[in-house]
Amino acid sequence: MSDYLLEMNNIVKTFGGVKALNGIDIKVKPGECVGLCGENGAGKSTLMKVLSAVYPHGTWDGEIIWDGQPLRAHSIAETEACGIVIIHQELTLVPDLSVAENIFMGRELTLPGGRMNYPAMVHRAEALMRELKVPDMNVALPVSQYGGGYQQLVEIAKALNKKARLLILDEPSSALTRSEIEVLLDIIRGLKAKGVACVYISHKLDEVSAICDTIAVIRDGKHIATTAMADMDVSRIITQMVGREMSNLYPTEPHAVGEVLFEARHITCYDVDNPGRKRVDDVSFSLRRGEILGIAGLVGAGRTELVSALFGSYPGRYEGEVWLDGKPIDTRTPLKSIRAGLCMVPEDRKRQGIVPDLGVGQNITLAVLDSFSHLTRIDAEAELGSVEQEIKRMHLKAANPFLPITSLSGGNQQKAVLAKMLLTKPRVLILDEPTRGVDVGAKYEIYKLMGALAAEGVSIIMVSSELAEVLGVSDRVLVIGEGQLRGDFINQGLTQEQVLAAALSQPNGHDNNNDRKSA
Amino acid sequence: MNQVKQLFTRYKMLALLIAVVLIWAFFSWQTEGGFLTPRNLSNLLRQMSITGILACGMVLVIISGEIDLSVGSMLGLLGGVAAILDVVYHIPLPLNLAIVALCGLLIGLGNGYMTAYLRIPSFIVGLGGMLAFRGVLLGITGGTTIAPVSPELVYIGQGYLPTVVGVILGVLLFGLTVFLTWRQRHNRALHGLVLPSILRDSVRVVLIGFVLAGFVYTLNSYDGIPVPVLLLLVLLGVFSYVTSQTVFGRRIYSVGSNMEATRLSGINVQAVKLWIFGIMGVMCALAGLVNTARLAAGSPSAGNMGELDAIAACFIGGTSMRGGSGTVYGALLGALVISSLDNGMSMLDVDSYWQMIVKGSILVLAVWVDVSTRAGRR
Repeated sequence: MSDYLLEMNNIVKTFGGVKALNGIDIKVKPGECVGLCGENGAGKSTLMKVLSAVYPHGTWDGEIIWDGQPLRAHSIAETEACGIVIIHQELTLVPDLSVAENIFMGRELTLPGGRMNYPAMVHRAEALMRELKVPDMNVALPVSQYGGGYQQLVEIAKALNKKARLLILDEPSSALTRSEIEVLLDIIRGLKAKGVACVYISHKLDEVSAICDTIAVIRDGKHIATTAMADMDVSRIITQMVGREMSNLYPTEPHAVGEVLFEARHITCYDVDNPGRKRVDDVSFSLRRGEILGIAGLVGAGRTELVSALFGSYPGRYEGEVWLDGKPIDTRTPLKSIRAGLCMVPEDRKRQGIVPDLGVGQNITLAVLDSFSHLTRIDAEAELGSVEQEIKRMHLKAANPFLPITSLSGGNQQKAVLAKMLLTKPRVLILDEPTRGVDVGAKYEIYKLMGALAAEGVSIIMVSSELAEVLGVSDRVLVIGEGQLRGDFINQGLTQEQVLAAALSQPNGHDNNNDRKSA
Repeated sequence: MNQVKQLFTRYKMLALLIAVVLIWAFFSWQTEGGFLTPRNLSNLLRQMSITGILACGMVLVIISGEIDLSVGSMLGLLGGVAAILDVVYHIPLPLNLAIVALCGLLIGLGNGYMTAYLRIPSFIVGLGGMLAFRGVLLGITGGTTIAPVSPELVYIGQGYLPTVVGVILGVLLFGLTVFLTWRQRHNRALHGLVLPSILRDSVRVVLIGFVLAGFVYTLNSYDGIPVPVLLLLVLLGVFSYVTSQTVFGRRIYSVGSNMEATRLSGINVQAVKLWIFGIMGVMCALAGLVNTARLAAGSPSAGNMGELDAIAACFIGGTSMRGGSGTVYGALLGALVISSLDNGMSMLDVDSYWQMIVKGSILVLAVWVDVSTRAGRR
């Protein structure tokens, strides 16, 4: 009998020929907290889905030993019965049901005849909340009455109620305030003392180093190292996380960077559901003519919120000013922004980019339809001519412009969305994750196009989660962390380590704005 | 089975036409030819015109992803206003038309404002309007029928065009068909696109010619083309043009298909919705006028359940429930199906409860066929 609660040995998971996980080993002792670190897309979530049998036994290679016995689970229900419980990044609570009802979701205590045994459930829920040291919580109130932090605790109570012996926390703190995080970390320490093991997945390395006993780093699906936290520090974790060789995937077109064209001043965005929380906290930056500005940061750092506020499409309350050519411009709605010369290609192509019932050509001309109209009648000739020109310029592979846009590949759909925005002749172009879900060939063409646009004098802001991409195409890199500007680098000899260190860094001199800006 | 599905998906409108033919054949057989007499067909088309006028507006509303349940009551209210202005105040017809149309526009814009700007779901706005407009109608008429309306107003609902005008109209429409077909071929050739075979296009033109000739001949052999049918034809032309050729039309589809992407493309999606409801209001005014004229009276129960017929017509005519796709001529074919069922079953003296059961079942059946063929494509 080994002294490990969980051993995952040589896990390999393949998606259509691509190895998402390539030989990962993770071992967890009872009462131990293992931090799982890696860049976006390194394979952390995939690994946890293997463990919790979202990918059932047989769809991956390797073995899982649970409590000394091989585990061959085929469903989440089986792994939960063993005591492996995962808490996902997006909470899975039903807001209108009470705390107790949520805790017992799917395993309700019942009286004969199927009636809910509320007294027993409330009693047990209260006991659980006492265990988590939040005795003042009224478990009969709906979950929506409590803030993000308390909701996270309800999730943990729900997990404990399932008699969890191994708790997997996937980015548990991404929706929490600093003080709420402290409470969360305290609770995890308490659970550890009771012998519950944890796998803690987070981009926030300060939390990881505060709570974890062991750090396992994976990169591109490979297991890099497992080290005791005592022998590690934040910078060594970062080195292990990045350590990738850059190949020449990024065509560079020489383009001159001119005078300051665009400025964002004091942009602050408040969370839609939790208006006390700032998603973007007083960010200001400037952009020069013909400059490609990469915005790096971890998922959830506030990059999309920042650029959508610039474009006037942020759903919540936000403040700030946008200046173009030394004059403030009104960008409170996308229509006004586009008229002022500011365009955005949004992050979620399916939801925000394409119009599925229209053809390829009609999608491309959507934003500039007025320019083809005589007395509101669309000049079909002029429209088609323009569409064909764009299709040629973008190397968009579509047999004809009347095909439904949904019949194109992701890369070609993205080119169509780009073409739509370029027809408005923007002076500043915002690209939010322009190469997400796009194949390598189309990626290359999008980079080339960006270079060509910059050479024409268009200024480009590119948000990307791929650090290699940011460093490959940008002239300058802004780093956003937890809604704040953490760094502003000229991209000359800049390394991924520097960018990642800035993204993960503690906001030193948090209260001292001058310090941060001069850094 | 799959092939049948594919054919069905491609030639949906053809399938709908076949359905109409089958319904007509059935009723004609049951009534021993009585259904297909010029007199009855003329009557059928006049009945259809009211549902058809509403469906013209409703199809825009549904394509944009909304719904308007208040149109039946709004039709009744505006028809009642027209009757009161005519009977009580003796307002001349052109002014009466203008006032009623303006009222329709304003009420429609009100509905649109509440939906688009105040973000009240259109289902609720419509439900509220359905009750409230009917209430106003009952209030202003005192629950009694307003009659008799002037002969000028009656002409809108019961008049006929001289037969010569009918023939000229038929020839003009045929000329337009030939011209549009030629222009489409010309444009496609210009851009190197595959042309449909000349035979197919010729057959199509000839078929349309036969239908037009039959239409004019049949109606002329009764009393001529009814005025409301002419109105419906004009609306069909205008709305087909708007939906297929104009910027506003393109935006209706775009808003209904993906509102967020449309908004992010710099389009004022709220204004688009506002005006769609405004147009719907004007259509209610026209339908109300025709209805009052047809009955020669303003009735407090006018247009009862009218919204359901209009909505059913759109869905039978292949308008997507999610929004984003649909055609005006499809909706009018749907209205023809519904009116044919109404008319035929009345001729057969089918009990009204059976009429409701049959109509309801046909609606569900038609949408089921639509949904199942759509799913095959995605």
